[in-house]
Order: sequence, then C-alpha cells, then structure tokens
Amino acid sequence: MRMGRFDRAVGVVIGATALGGALLLWFAVASGGLTPAKQPTEGFVVGVWTVFYNTQAPPPQAILVAIAVGLLLAAGLALLERRVSNRSRRSTDGQLYPLAAKLVMEQTRGVFAGPVTLTVLIPAYNEEDLLAGTLTSLLAQSRRPDRVIVVADNCTDSTVAIARQRGVEVIQSQGNTKKKAGALNQALTAILPRQGDNDLVMVMDADTRLDDGFLAAAVTRFTDDRALMAVGGLFYGQEGFGLLGQFQRNEYIRYAREMKRRRGRVFVLTGTASIFRPAALRAVAANRGATIPGTPGDVYDTAALTEDNEITIALKSLGALIVSPTDCTVVTEVMSTVRTLWRQRLRWQRGALENIGAYGMTPATLRYWAQQLGLGYGVIALGAFTLLTLLMFVSVDTWVWFPFWLGLGSVFVAERVFTVWKGGWRARALAITIVPELVYDLFLNTVHVKGTIDITFGRKAAWGRAPEKRRRQ
Amino acid sequence: MTSGLAQVISSGILLPASFLQSGFFVILSAFVAINTIVYFALAVAKILPKVYLVDWIRGANRRSETRSIRPNAPIIGEVEEHVERREDDGRHRAGSDRAQ
Repeated sequence: MRMGRFDRAVGVVIGATALGGALLLWFAVASGGLTPAKQPTEGFVVGVWTVFYNTQAPPPQAILVAIAVGLLLAAGLALLERRVSNRSRRSTDGQLYPLAAKLVMEQTRGVFAGPVTLTVLIPAYNEEDLLAGTLTSLLAQSRRPDRVIVVADNCTDSTVAIARQRGVEVIQSQGNTKKKAGALNQALTAILPRQGDNDLVMVMDADTRLDDGFLAAAVTRFTDDRALMAVGGLFYGQEGFGLLGQFQRNEYIRYAREMKRRRGRVFVLTGTASIFRPAALRAVAANRGATIPGTPGDVYDTAALTEDNEITIALKSLGALIVSPTDCTVVTEVMSTVRTLWRQRLRWQRGALENIGAYGMTPATLRYWAQQLGLGYGVIALGAFTLLTLLMFVSVDTWVWFPFWLGLGSVFVAERVFTVWKGGWRARALAITIVPELVYDLFLNTVHVKGTIDITFGRKAAWGRAPEKRRRQ
Repeated sequence: MTSGLAQVISSGILLPASFLQSGFFVILSAFVAINTIVYFALAVAKILPKVYLVDWIRGANRRSETRSIRPNAPIIGEVEEHVERREDDGRHRAGSDRAQ
C-alpha cells in the first residue's frame, strides 16, 4: 500500500524544497560578483519637478534566463500534467485505473443503460436558515432533479421539517460521528446499490445556490460522454461583505478564468456542487484501503479535513475523466470576517497538505505537490520583496524612480486587472490599486505557513462546523 | 540640487543610506530582481491568450466511436473540445438572441 508515506513530513518536504530552491538562487546570485547600484540621477519632469531616477536594470542575459526559467517551469508542469492524465485515461490496467476512459468505453460499448437521471444529496447540519433558499434554486432549474434528498446529520433545528415541507426526501444519519463525510457515506450506502450507470448522484452544500442551466449543462455532458465520471461546479463569491468579500470574489474570478484556460481540467471537484456517475463512487469505495487511502467501503474519506479535494485526488488516481465546465456555475458564500476567513483557509491548506501527504508522490498528485511548492516559494519571494521594499523605505529619505522596475510593475498591474475584468468595476478598481491585494496575498501566505507548521508539529486541528454560518443568522 | 543628491546618499530614515551599498542588500535586491522577472514572465503568460498545442497535434486525440450513452449517437471530439464547442454554441445562440 502506498498510503501514509508522508503524513506529517509533508510540511517539511514542501518547506525544505521551497527554501532549498530559494537558497540555491541566493548563493548563485551571491557568487555572481555583484556591484552596488549606481547613484540615482537627478532630472526634471515638465521642467519643474525635481526627481531622482536610476536607470539600472539587470544584465540582458540574466533577464532572458529568468524569463526562460519561469516559462519552462510553467509549460513543463502543464505538459507533465497533461501526459499523466492522458496516460491514465488511456490505460487498460483495470487494477490500477479501473475508471480509465478506455476501459469504461469497452465495458459500456453498445449498451444503453437508460436516460440520465439525477439524484441530489444535500448534507445538512442545522441549516434551517439557508435550506429553503437552496431548495428553491434547485427546484427552479430548467432541468429539474429527479430526486432530492436532504441528508440531515444530527440536526437539532427545523432542517428536517423544512425539507419535508418542501416535499423532498430526508435521510437522517444514524449515530454518525464523522461529520459531513460520515453522513454522506451513510446516505450513499443506502442509495448507490439501486443506481444504474446513468443515474447520476449530485452532492451539494445546503448553502449553495446553483445558477440556472447548471443541471441541464451537466446532464448533456454526461449524456454525450459515457466515460465522463464527474462534473464539478465552478464557484464564484456571493455579493456583499465589503472589501473582504471583494478580495475573495476576485480570487474566485481568477480561479474560474484559470479553469476556463485549462479547458475545464479540474483541480478540485468542489463540495459546494459536484455530480458523479455511480460507477465512479463505487470504484472509490471499492479501492479504499488498497490503491487509495481510506476505510474500505467508504465513498468519502472520513479522516480527510477537505473531503472534496480528497475525492478529486481519489478519482484522478483511479484514472477518471472529470471536468469543471464554465456553464456549471454556483454561488458560494464568502467569509464575512477575517477570523472566519483565516479558519476557512487554514482548513483548506491543512486539508490539501494532509491529502497529498496521505497519497504520497504519485502521478495523480504531482500537480498538487507542484502547487504547494509554488505556494511555498511564493511565500519566500513575496517575503523577500516586502523586506526589500521596507529596507529601501527606511534607508532613503528621497523617492527614487526606477524606470525598468516601474515598467515591469505596470505589467503586474495589467495582469491583476485583466484577470478580474469579468468581475466588473469593483473587482477592477480593487485590482488596480495593487497594494490591498498584495496585503491579502501576504495574509494567505501567512495561512500557508501556519498550516505547514501545524501539520509538521502534528497540532490537532479543532475545526468547528462552519461557525460563519451560525454567525450570519 | 547637488546638496539634495548628497542628502540622498548620506542619510536615511532608520538605516544609513550606505546600507544600500552593503553586500547583503545588493544580494537581496538581485534575488528579488530575478524572482520579479520570473513572476513577470508568468504574468505576461497569464494575460496572453493560451496556446493549446493539442489543437495542432491531432491523431491520437481523434475519436473513432461515439462516446454517448446512446450507442447510435454521432461522434463528438475530445471532452475539452466538447466543452469549448458548447461554449461557442452558447455564445452564438446568445449573439443571435441579442440580434433578434
């Protein structure tokens, strides 16, 4: 078995590799025989204002090498990821890749298992304030689900009553201590045996609102491709919550843009709304404890902090074809306070690290390791940039302009604005000011470091159940 | 003006301006410079339209049979291509709706 290869060491591996890369660059730079910067030159703007500027720029060779390294790393990673996914999809190794498209095609060739049907599972833990709205948006879809089941987990409020009032089914978890994943496993154990190949199962959060057309688009895709194993929703942030909300909305807009540029190739099948072919869920349950981590028979890994990220890696590990199309969009809540945002992101970060730690370095997790490494290095790079800026501020008492770096800076501003263009004037206005988003990035970097330290020292995470929801009531 | 320039060189707010000439600062600024150029290249790549090599190299990506759940349905290309195609269809539809 390949599970548990890294566990807590995942933090050390990521941290040490990122730091090692940075040190390597540092020593390479130090051995390059650098000379101090030239003194600034005095000049005039419009013949009136006195300015100091410094035209110094790195040598052209250094610029070209740095650009080449950046682009080669990005392109190399993209090619590698593509190769890994193609290889597993085209595999005929039923032991290792039971969900490989090639195998699924063979097994279902010439067989019509009936039209696509859709069963929606909504795990809910005291969701009386949001459930009614969720059900309304779900039942108003142009392609209505065939069956809606609220999976009530240890609810002490009127969640069950609201669900029954709206005429949907309710499954109440029995003695579940494994939170959402445990409740879903109980529900799936009950319904999966009766699902045919085209009887899709959707899992969506009780606080999620689907955009119209989501279900119709997903059903069309599953109809057109019998090897397609899962469709994940593309989420964007709800309106409101001021600047903090806008930071998160900008982040989600950039993520959605990235998904589109990846032609729907998924990073995470979001827990907010994802649809699975029953064969995919059965294969995951059957392979847990063998080729993928977890308890045999469980669809969701109850030990995972981020069960949606975990099931994505599980499906990819089994060779499944999964997509996140741009017309399957959902509105997700944004955190209303810094404190809740901190908790949410720490949970995501810790969960992501735990997941790759549990799977080890496999072809399917390669992209996730690279992502963590990129984040780790980003912490160092942004930290060094911030330190340099601060040191310059406290060492000079007159502003000096650097035309070369200003030119580069303007491209960063353009990138920030361009990538959130679809978010409207508020998103663009925030992006163009650069500094607030830089501070937000520093915040996320701090979360990244804290998550990595926590997992390294095995600090127990005491994750409550979405405290932000209760606060909103 | 010369005195202004001299002031820039000789004094700082918290650290002496000579700190900017120190070995540590020079290495730090070169380190940050190289990182900035790497991230600059990535930022440019993010702004520019993405090039899909696979669009030019077909062959292995061509489908030889239908992937529909209905055995007699027509053949559609790669899944990603399928995603793109549907988006294009959607845009065309939206465009014609607006035109009407």
